[in-house]
Amino acid sequence: MEKKDVLRLKDIVGKKNVKTDPADLYVYGSDSSVHSARPWVVVRPENTEQVQEIMAFANKEKIPVVTRGAGSGMCGQTVPVKGGITLDMKRMNKILEINPSDVFCRVQPGVVDDDLNHALKPFGVFYPPTPASSRIATIGGEIGNNASGVRSVKYGATRDSVLGMKVVLPDGSLVTLGARTRVEATGYQLHKLIVGSEGTLGVVVEATLSFVPIPKFRCLGMANFDRLEDAGAAIADIMASGVIPSMLELVDSVAIKAVNKTMDLGLPEVEAVLLYEADAMVKEAVDHEINAMQEVCKKHNGAGLTSSYDPKERAKIFMGRKKLFPALSKFSDILSSTSLADDMAVPYSKMAETAKKIHEIAARNNIIMTAYGHCGSGCMHTKILMEPTRQDQWESARKAVAEIYEYVRSVKGTTSAEHGIGISKASAFKAEKHDSLDLMRNIKKAFDPNNILNPGKLMDAHEDWVTATDLRYTIA
Amino acid sequence: METRTFETKYLDKWKSNLDSCIRCGYCYEHCPVFKDTRWESDAPRAKMIMIYGLLSGKLEPSTYISDKLSSCFYCGRCVAACSSGVPLNEIITDAKRDFQGTEFETPGTTSVTNTDCALCLACVRSCPHEAREFISGKIFTDTVKCQSCGLCVDICPNQAVATLLSYGTDRSSLNQEVATFLDKDNAKAIVFGCNWSYFPDLQSSAMDLEKDPEYKILINMCGGRLEKPLLLEPLLQNAWGVLVACCPDGDCEHDGNVKAATHVAGLRELLKEMDIAEDRIQLVQIAHGDKTGFQAAIDTFMETVNQLGPLNPR
Repeated sequence: MEKKDVLRLKDIVGKKNVKTDPADLYVYGSDSSVHSARPWVVVRPENTEQVQEIMAFANKEKIPVVTRGAGSGMCGQTVPVKGGITLDMKRMNKILEINPSDVFCRVQPGVVDDDLNHALKPFGVFYPPTPASSRIATIGGEIGNNASGVRSVKYGATRDSVLGMKVVLPDGSLVTLGARTRVEATGYQLHKLIVGSEGTLGVVVEATLSFVPIPKFRCLGMANFDRLEDAGAAIADIMASGVIPSMLELVDSVAIKAVNKTMDLGLPEVEAVLLYEADAMVKEAVDHEINAMQEVCKKHNGAGLTSSYDPKERAKIFMGRKKLFPALSKFSDILSSTSLADDMAVPYSKMAETAKKIHEIAARNNIIMTAYGHCGSGCMHTKILMEPTRQDQWESARKAVAEIYEYVRSVKGTTSAEHGIGISKASAFKAEKHDSLDLMRNIKKAFDPNNILNPGKLMDAHEDWVTATDLRYTIA
Repeated sequence: METRTFETKYLDKWKSNLDSCIRCGYCYEHCPVFKDTRWESDAPRAKMIMIYGLLSGKLEPSTYISDKLSSCFYCGRCVAACSSGVPLNEIITDAKRDFQGTEFETPGTTSVTNTDCALCLACVRSCPHEAREFISGKIFTDTVKCQSCGLCVDICPNQAVATLLSYGTDRSSLNQEVATFLDKDNAKAIVFGCNWSYFPDLQSSAMDLEKDPEYKILINMCGGRLEKPLLLEPLLQNAWGVLVACCPDGDCEHDGNVKAATHVAGLRELLKEMDIAEDRIQLVQIAHGDKTGFQAAIDTFMETVNQLGPLNPR
């Protein structure tokens, strides 16, 4: 990037909001994925007008632009594979309006999810998509990813809560998409298309979000299963029974062992644990749903059934799930927890089989993998525990990831449930959506004819995720 | 002064810990340095990434990197938040060790002594980390041992000790924040919060309110570092009240809360003598992470302040 281009950006956002030191570029070149690349410059806009000016300039000069929220993505969505400008949106962090009577709020993209919920709480409402990373994840990043979390089974993903947005297009023009209403049948719902587009179509500068009342009663239960198949059957039966849990989580034996080994929680070493939660405004409704779920668990040989309304008790029951991430990271001194084949969604009836398949593929490829997830929404997560400095482990990981997604496609599941595609899931995504890739490319072209927004991602990503970028690890 | 060549001698042993860092970023929301600048490069995760870059040869050592790695108040919040169990404090200390004596060494948030020093050696005697030494007529700070607790800054009778990079925690920055806030229409009170007891939510986002908020929370590194003139400043600028939040008895390793209590008690006496309601300045102890208690204390204080009404001492 030429000096005059950096000077132009400094003119737009001010000198102190531009970084070009190699250390800054190295930091902003990675996220929570295995990938690493470097932008040419990092820029922090403060308002819509600045974003418009930056985009118009970048479009004219054909400079790539990657929008970045917290940089907590797991698949390399914000890793700038073609360099260019990284737009750090964390300065656009204002909650613009909370409107309880019309049930929406307006926020800038840099607002942190937990901060929004903190501000909504006095109104007795919450913004429900809330991914596990809500303490740092920004609304802009969640929109880019169509993020969701443990409560997606009842409250849906980001797309379900986004009513509208303002978006700066690559040529610098500003468009208002969607509405402030609960329903809309006014042509193409382009704001829904922006959700999950991973920064490839436009820069979101404002979002209108809906929220829901905070339930007065919440009860969490747990059941242990000696056989994974039984847990899988219980999940499918619960979801078919007409009950809508506010959370339904599966934790497999590898995860239980990891938690027990590192946290000493003394969980029963069974093949699977199910965590189920119900919430409502009246206790009777919660009782009814919890009882119904416990009956299904019993029918499928679930044991050790416990449940509680008490927040402290609930925290105790949830401890194993909550401590899962740290447990996996600390599983072994030589193994690192890598975000690979990190998420997928499969039909309910295939949850148990998918977990078994993941174990089978891991064993065959000499790596450790666990299976857990928000099975109430069909979402399965995993992590690959491997020695990231060994080349042969990357060969194994590459094979395992391919095998897992081949299986997911075979059971009519989908490549990503909530973490998105980025770089590391691009080949699986392309295989799954093979007959609509040209359509997607045409859509991208209509929004971004010069291909400056997050180039080299989704359908345009490298076929082989291992060699698509530098890996963040040093391989011996 | 002769310098040595930079080597990753002490950092080498952390390679595998840095591999196990999943770069989730959960650490940075807790970091007072990040909360001040909002640049990811100032967050704990970035420090780990930079060190990884040095270890892997992907980054060349520089004064800029040294500055980033030396900017840490050792509050330990990143360590507590780390899901991978990475001992960030220890790694940062070893990074400073590797930079010490090289051409790139910088003080960062560690304290420096200026020419106003009267050599009373109070800072040397009081430093809990044995970081300050009196050598050949001068006081030196060991940048590796110094944990930027600020006790020396506070204790110096000549105001000769300072941290060059304070990230909004020094006297003048706090005074500036007080002045800017109290200039607003609806401004009534200042709440000084301690980084070690409770750092409030909504620090990375902001409400765009039609009306300006009635109070402003300002975070400092320790209640003990809030001197009387700083605590009095809001009242001199017509604030209706000042609330000081610090750690409960026995929780502060520097006894900063004891000092804060003494300052507040002294100022309450002073207000009384001036026939001003002493409740305009109050102290509250907040346990580590007690979000509800912190908010409740502020609400109660604001109730009192609103009952007392505006302060017009003249």
